[in-house]
Amino acid sequence: MKTFFNLPIMRGLRWQIFGTAAGGLLVAAIRALMGLEAFGPLLFTEPSWVVGALTGAIAFMFGVGALDDWLKMAAGEAVAEEHHDPPGWQKYFSVSYDHKVIGIQYTAASIILIGTGGLLALIFRTELSRAGLDFLSLQWYNTLMSLHGMIMIVSILVGIAGVMNYLVPMLLGARDMAFPRLNAFGFWVVVPASMLLLGSMALGGVDTGWTGYPPLSVRSPIGIQMFFVGVWVAGWSSILGSLNLLVTVLRLRARGMTSFKMPIFVWAAIAASIISLTATQLISLAFQMVVFERALGMPFFNPDLGGNPILFQHLFWFYSHPVVYVFVLPGLGIISELLPVFVRKPLFGYRWIAMSSLGIALVGFVVWAHHMFTSGMNEYLRVPFMYSTLLVAVPTGVKFFSWVATMWQGRIKVETPMLFVLGGIFVFLLGGLTGPPNATVSTDLHLHDTYFIVGHFHDTMFGGYVFPFFAALYYWFPKATGKRLNERLGKWHFWLMTPSVVGFTLLMMRIGLLGMRRRIADYDPALGFDFTHLLITIFGYLVFISVLIFLYNVYITIKRGEPATGNVWGSRSPEWQVPSPMPPHNYSAEMVVVGEPYDYGRPDAPPYVIFEKQESAQ
Amino acid sequence: MKQGLKVFLILAVLTAVEFAVALLVPSAFLLGLMATAKAGLVIYYYMHIYKLVAEEEITDRESYAYKEGTNRVGLWLFLLSDFFLFAGLLISRFNLLGFTRPHLNQTLGFAVTVMLLVSSYFMNRAETRFKEGDLAGFQANAWITLGLGLAFMLGVVAVEWPLAAAEGLTASGSAAGAIFYLMTGMHAFHVLTGLIFLAIVLRNARHGVFAEGKGWPVEAAAVYWHFVDVVWIFFYPALYLIGTLI
Repeated sequence: MKTFFNLPIMRGLRWQIFGTAAGGLLVAAIRALMGLEAFGPLLFTEPSWVVGALTGAIAFMFGVGALDDWLKMAAGEAVAEEHHDPPGWQKYFSVSYDHKVIGIQYTAASIILIGTGGLLALIFRTELSRAGLDFLSLQWYNTLMSLHGMIMIVSILVGIAGVMNYLVPMLLGARDMAFPRLNAFGFWVVVPASMLLLGSMALGGVDTGWTGYPPLSVRSPIGIQMFFVGVWVAGWSSILGSLNLLVTVLRLRARGMTSFKMPIFVWAAIAASIISLTATQLISLAFQMVVFERALGMPFFNPDLGGNPILFQHLFWFYSHPVVYVFVLPGLGIISELLPVFVRKPLFGYRWIAMSSLGIALVGFVVWAHHMFTSGMNEYLRVPFMYSTLLVAVPTGVKFFSWVATMWQGRIKVETPMLFVLGGIFVFLLGGLTGPPNATVSTDLHLHDTYFIVGHFHDTMFGGYVFPFFAALYYWFPKATGKRLNERLGKWHFWLMTPSVVGFTLLMMRIGLLGMRRRIADYDPALGFDFTHLLITIFGYLVFISVLIFLYNVYITIKRGEPATGNVWGSRSPEWQVPSPMPPHNYSAEMVVVGEPYDYGRPDAPPYVIFEKQESAQ
Repeated sequence: MKQGLKVFLILAVLTAVEFAVALLVPSAFLLGLMATAKAGLVIYYYMHIYKLVAEEEITDRESYAYKEGTNRVGLWLFLLSDFFLFAGLLISRFNLLGFTRPHLNQTLGFAVTVMLLVSSYFMNRAETRFKEGDLAGFQANAWITLGLGLAFMLGVVAVEWPLAAAEGLTASGSAAGAIFYLMTGMHAFHVLTGLIFLAIVLRNARHGVFAEGKGWPVEAAAVYWHFVDVVWIFFYPALYLIGTLI
């Protein structure tokens, strides 16, 4: 127990509490000197909480030790190039610079957050399972619904970061990411951010939905400030993580790895990183403006004083639309990466897939206003944004054609990762096909803010992220641990999750078309949606149970799984050419690319990479 | 005449012309064009953006030179990200105010702009001296940069803000005031971080930390400092020159 409380993460959390108190008290003191109210009904006043949230997050970073080396550098002291992690499980709770440890930290954090977000959803889904308010207040319903959205978004960003961090240096043949300290910073900053998001529940909650639109968010309880600051802090992780990834790809590729010989997942990671590097700034700005409007009375979004609430939506969606491509592009990259392994055929149209990822990312920058067709923005913006949005279907279609052509006449090996790949393709297709009706102005005016959107969105997120994420977990679990997850439990997980997801999303779309409004806590029983809502709730529980099966699978595999240290899936990818799990700094010899990455089923093809032993790399 | 000085003189002339243009033909297009030209000069000659593509064949990835190149890519990507923040602020300003502008003290605005521009020149001189191995020259010029940067920041936060507030432009009074304080405040915050970074580099240089050609932090501080200047090159006309008075 004592070891547990002495772990760096616990020290960080203690520091966060002290930092919040210190920042809050400082502002309270200043306010007292200015003759203002020093304390409020929720202990501190709102400005105190905002400053406290920030100082708490900074204090966490000091406490956990993520800034140690930079402080030494600033003081002019020498900093060791090599960083030694504590042995065993403790390294996952301390600051480590090893990209594989950070990747696992990210992934574990993502699973914790996804479980939290899922639990919140189950609570309010239970409330919705029949008409009438049964056990939640309106405020609590809104809080749970809003936090479900934002916590899931953070969890997906963190999960993407986990997969990219773990894989990309190995796929490139690099020893580590380009900036290992920055990498650690990017992970650790997520922890105080998650605390802030969850902490908003204790400060009156959030009643705006995950979008936080003003003027509603200007009138929300103080909890919304924790929500905004939490997202702002988490944004650092996105920006710095994607920066690190881009530099790593640009500078640390193995010899012979030209741009069209990179593993296809790397292309997807590049495309996603371009978005999160740049667009994240705009949601930070939008949220900061609301924070300032609330705390200092700066009327950015108050039309009475010359403000414009539509401006918030423009800034917000400039990030929040492209970010869905940050979620799905790495997921689709995982699908493209795994398909050839399990069908034993080359990936069809490699260059087209690589370019389609970039294409989706770039077109994604000019589609944001399709979320605002009903907002009252200038009408002449509608049609251009409709067409730019429909354009996204073209590069996405390229990917589907490529997958189908890859599978065509292949010898498909149906193992758990492949099941999740196929499930992902199917569910994402459902999400993709229901997209154009939302992009088209005439139909969107009817569909906007209905359950149709919710169903569409959950299909894209499950198909584009959740299924590929689980495929990646099943596929690379032996790489990380040297043990293979149980196939039977994996199949249970898949066959329980897939029909449930398809079921609840299609039902959502159905009642959405019939006029069920999203985000509301109660509905008229005369609509006749009670039974459908009950089914949706049951499907939601089944998805949650399937994830519990997965967690149980992880637990028993780590405890008594069969060792699997070789090339479990018969992959050509470099990380599988060496025994699992990999040591720090990955390969003991220099990796050189000599062949094509996806020449499966061609006995005479040269290997993708060879390792030159004579060059003594460290 | 040295290149840094030449570039500075062109920048100075452009700034003066900009001011005159704003008085005579207040065209947002012309002012935007001139700001872009100024930014281009700073980005090319002071921030050496061309170093990003300079293909020097370094095979040893553990060498300082290769790592310096990696750091440079990282810094520029960070600036690209930051650029989106400031672009968002500029767009917000035009969304909220259109082609109108609040009443501000023109003399003061011009004065602080000149200070920041001159500080960029001295930053460039400091960097050049450092590359030549002239540590004393580096320190002298870096001190001047620090002084001018501090003067700029105080000029905005400690002089301009109270003056504007006294004339009725308060942060909570109107959207025009709100966006003015947010833009200048966000920029001043970046100036402050640049000053802190420069002060750390100056101190470490004095203690001989950057010996044997390991001078990346000096270049990083300089590039970041010029970036802050580039932002102001756009913010100054957007806040002080473009549009008709409200």
